[in-house]
Amino acid sequence: MNNFDIPLSPEAYSRTNVAKLQIFEKVLKGNVEAIVITDSHGHIEWVNNTFSTLTGYAKADVLEKNLGFLFAGGQNVYEAMRPKLNEANHHEVETWVRRKDGSEFPAEVTLSAVRSDADMISHHVLEFSDITEFRHAREELIRRTEELSRSNKELEQFAYVASHDLQEPLRMVASYTQLIAQRYRGKLDADADEFINYAVDGATRMQAIINDLLTLSRVSTRNTIFSRVDAKLALDKALANLRLIIGETGATIVCDSLPALNADGSQLTQLFQNLIGNAIKFRGSNSPRVEIGAEQQDGEWVFHVRDSGIGIAPEYFERIFLMFQRLHTKKEYPGTGIGLTICKKIVERHGGRIWIESEQGKGTTFYFTIPTALS
Amino acid sequence: MNIDSLGRPANFLLVEDNPGDVRLTQEALKSHKVQNNLYVVNDGEEAMAFLRKQGKYKDAPRPDIILLDLNLPKKDGREVLAEIKSEPSLKTIPVVIISSSEAEQDIIKSYDLNANCYVTKPVNFDQFIKVVQSINDFWLTIVKLPSNFE
Repeated sequence: MNNFDIPLSPEAYSRTNVAKLQIFEKVLKGNVEAIVITDSHGHIEWVNNTFSTLTGYAKADVLEKNLGFLFAGGQNVYEAMRPKLNEANHHEVETWVRRKDGSEFPAEVTLSAVRSDADMISHHVLEFSDITEFRHAREELIRRTEELSRSNKELEQFAYVASHDLQEPLRMVASYTQLIAQRYRGKLDADADEFINYAVDGATRMQAIINDLLTLSRVSTRNTIFSRVDAKLALDKALANLRLIIGETGATIVCDSLPALNADGSQLTQLFQNLIGNAIKFRGSNSPRVEIGAEQQDGEWVFHVRDSGIGIAPEYFERIFLMFQRLHTKKEYPGTGIGLTICKKIVERHGGRIWIESEQGKGTTFYFTIPTALS
Repeated sequence: MNIDSLGRPANFLLVEDNPGDVRLTQEALKSHKVQNNLYVVNDGEEAMAFLRKQGKYKDAPRPDIILLDLNLPKKDGREVLAEIKSEPSLKTIPVVIISSSEAEQDIIKSYDLNANCYVTKPVNFDQFIKVVQSINDFWLTIVKLPSNFE
């Protein structure tokens, strides 16, 4: 028997087809879902074994009864579902089923119609399963997701408030150590000068860290405001902010034409500023040259910021984007270790990716994408 | 410079509750080598008493410029600003908001209440000095203000 299609002809009553029908019945009886077959008015004609297992009713208890009794809460779910079958062949709801002992369980219920050749509904088939565990799992998932996003938000808020409120006392420490340095450097003894220098240096570095943390948490907590932005304008603003270091190092900045796209303009400026700032900072002994461009590829703009600086070893390609990860001593290259984390956050807020290609001693190229779908 | 334009030392009223900031402002004005008198009050109620010459401030001068912090005890800077700008005898005095807040809503609110300008406190001491001196130069020598009849 390799074909279970039973022809609708007198042959259907042949011995082999009876055997096939028996197999069908066994399959239905042992199905993991409870199955109830009723006439077109809901009077039960047949139930499978799973029905009895789930509800506690024996077949004899329910035959010829109307399906309506099965549902909890005084609502006849069957009657409510039936009219929907005029439009579709199945209708599915989540509801509560009452067992013989009066207890109830949540169930996913599907009602389908069996139609005659004349397209009249001759029977209804109700299938259901106990979804108690599924519901628990789903509720747990929703609860945990909410919990997670709440604690994430709280954490971002905390980072913002902490860095914002730290600014005020830090401003006092920094201002007054600077004032002491201006007024008393060289007037006390050599030790005092050294101590003052360390205090000024520490306060200055802490300011840089707090500023960067604030920038990072602004990117995380403020809504990213998307509008049509000319990337060239964002770049020009970044270059204006970097004019001092560009002037001091004599950096050459080369830029292809850049697209207009949907982005947060101030975040895009920040992104260019950090990447170009890095390119100049890690120039090595070369006179710095930075190339910026963008190409459209597979539904996204791929931007690049390419330098001819000291480069990065491949084992650090991922690590550089992590917070506070630095590859150099503060003496070699000062920095907070937050700049590239900000870049990554900004790119992610735009639905893009950021990565690098680099060869030590030859230079580094940062790539980032912004989907054109946003554009 | 101030003496040239005003004919006398300029009178500053600083409304600031943080003694560290008060002292920094004093240092900044001192290093400007321009004669000026800095009057300091520490909260919003005192600021209004000073301006209205009430109680112990009955002999207080009318300030030529007011440096106002936003976050103050008792009566905060926004309320002080609103009251100054709604009193005919006070509203022509330039009010410079000096705040550590970079929040957009604080900036907008201040200009809505007719602040003459909004400055954030620089984190760097040299810049702080520069800002105080620029305020001084701009408001007391460059701009034309109505004559001060008392």
